Amino acid sequence: MAKILKAPKAGMFLARLWHMVGGKKRRPTTAQMLWRAQRLRDEGRFERATEIVDTALLHDPLSVVGHLLAASLHMALRETGQARTSFERVLALEPTQPRALLGLARVALEEDDITACRSLLRRALARYPDFPEARALLEVARGLVPSVDAKPVVTATGTKATDRLRLPAESREALFMRADATLLFAEPHGPRTDLAVGSTAKLARVATAMLARAGLGPLRHAVVEGVADTTYLRADDTALLSLAFDRDLRSSTALEHLEQVWGCCRSELA
Amino acid sequence: MSAAAVVVAQPEVGRDLRGVLTALLRLDHIMGGLVVAPDGLLIAADLPHEIQAEPLAALAATLGRELEMRGPRLRRGTFPMAQFASVSGAVFIGSTPVGYIVLLGEPRADWDAIRAALRRAVGTVYRAWAG
Repeated sequence: MAKILKAPKAGMFLARLWHMVGGKKRRPTTAQMLWRAQRLRDEGRFERATEIVDTALLHDPLSVVGHLLAASLHMALRETGQARTSFERVLALEPTQPRALLGLARVALEEDDITACRSLLRRALARYPDFPEARALLEVARGLVPSVDAKPVVTATGTKATDRLRLPAESREALFMRADATLLFAEPHGPRTDLAVGSTAKLARVATAMLARAGLGPLRHAVVEGVADTTYLRADDTALLSLAFDRDLRSSTALEHLEQVWGCCRSELA
Repeated sequence: MSAAAVVVAQPEVGRDLRGVLTALLRLDHIMGGLVVAPDGLLIAADLPHEIQAEPLAALAATLGRELEMRGPRLRRGTFPMAQFASVSGAVFIGSTPVGYIVLLGEPRADWDAIRAALRRAVGTVYRAWAG
């Protein structure tokens, strides 16, 4: 009975002790929170890392590291618009922050704003001339057409061209263009053709830059597997052919078609 | 080592991207490779000494993102794997939720086998990170 009577007193003591310990425990600093968030990001736990960064930025909204980490996480989660906002916040705090300039340049490239992309990369390189990532991206951006208005127009479409180029019946989409993205042939040709041409030209440009950086020389062939179809590319220094097939079509058959159409296309250009 | 010998079937293996890359680097005629986050952050790299990893990572992230963007914009769905070849070799790139796996192959490499191995590795990473 005596023990039972003493129990509440012991409980109160423990509670008081817990309160004292708890009261003395400090909230983690912004740096500690961001360090933890960075570790979580490196482990691929993006959502949890984002929560911690958001909390850290509530306490320290002027943290450049916090906004940079937020931008990195948004990029990892493919949230381009939010990444752009975070990069812009970094630049508002530190106008020549190289990672923010590079990140924003990548967002601009992704959104086909080539002029902005080049400008951001030049700003980064003016401040940090030894910045190989920025230099590599600038090489890509230099070779791209700056705006939609400047894109050249179609010079040949229709049934005759289809027959001449011996386009296979299995082809879902065919694009033939000069290296500068001048479209020479598109089948089918529709409202999204310009988008497809721009995307394919940009893809080839980035791939060429990557092959060059790897010491492998210019792009000649590509295979892009999609969910529904597979796109085969053939290129030389002057032209680029893209054929999309159902992904069930055998690779060897698709490559035969590609070489045949490529031969016809090259003859047309000669 | 043959493509079939690359063991990346267990989900827990797919969480270790460095391990996935190491396994893929054992394929015949692979010169090197890297794993890069979608923001261009280099996660792991094993490249010939004359190739700088950082600019290659920046380009790989840009290329990977561009391939992903072809899906919604061009109604083609996301890409699991792509290959870009020159006369001197090829770059293979696979897309996962946590980043891109890149391999550099020699011209004599069996490209179909490499694509198949990379496709399997990408699938393993997807399964590991889905939970």
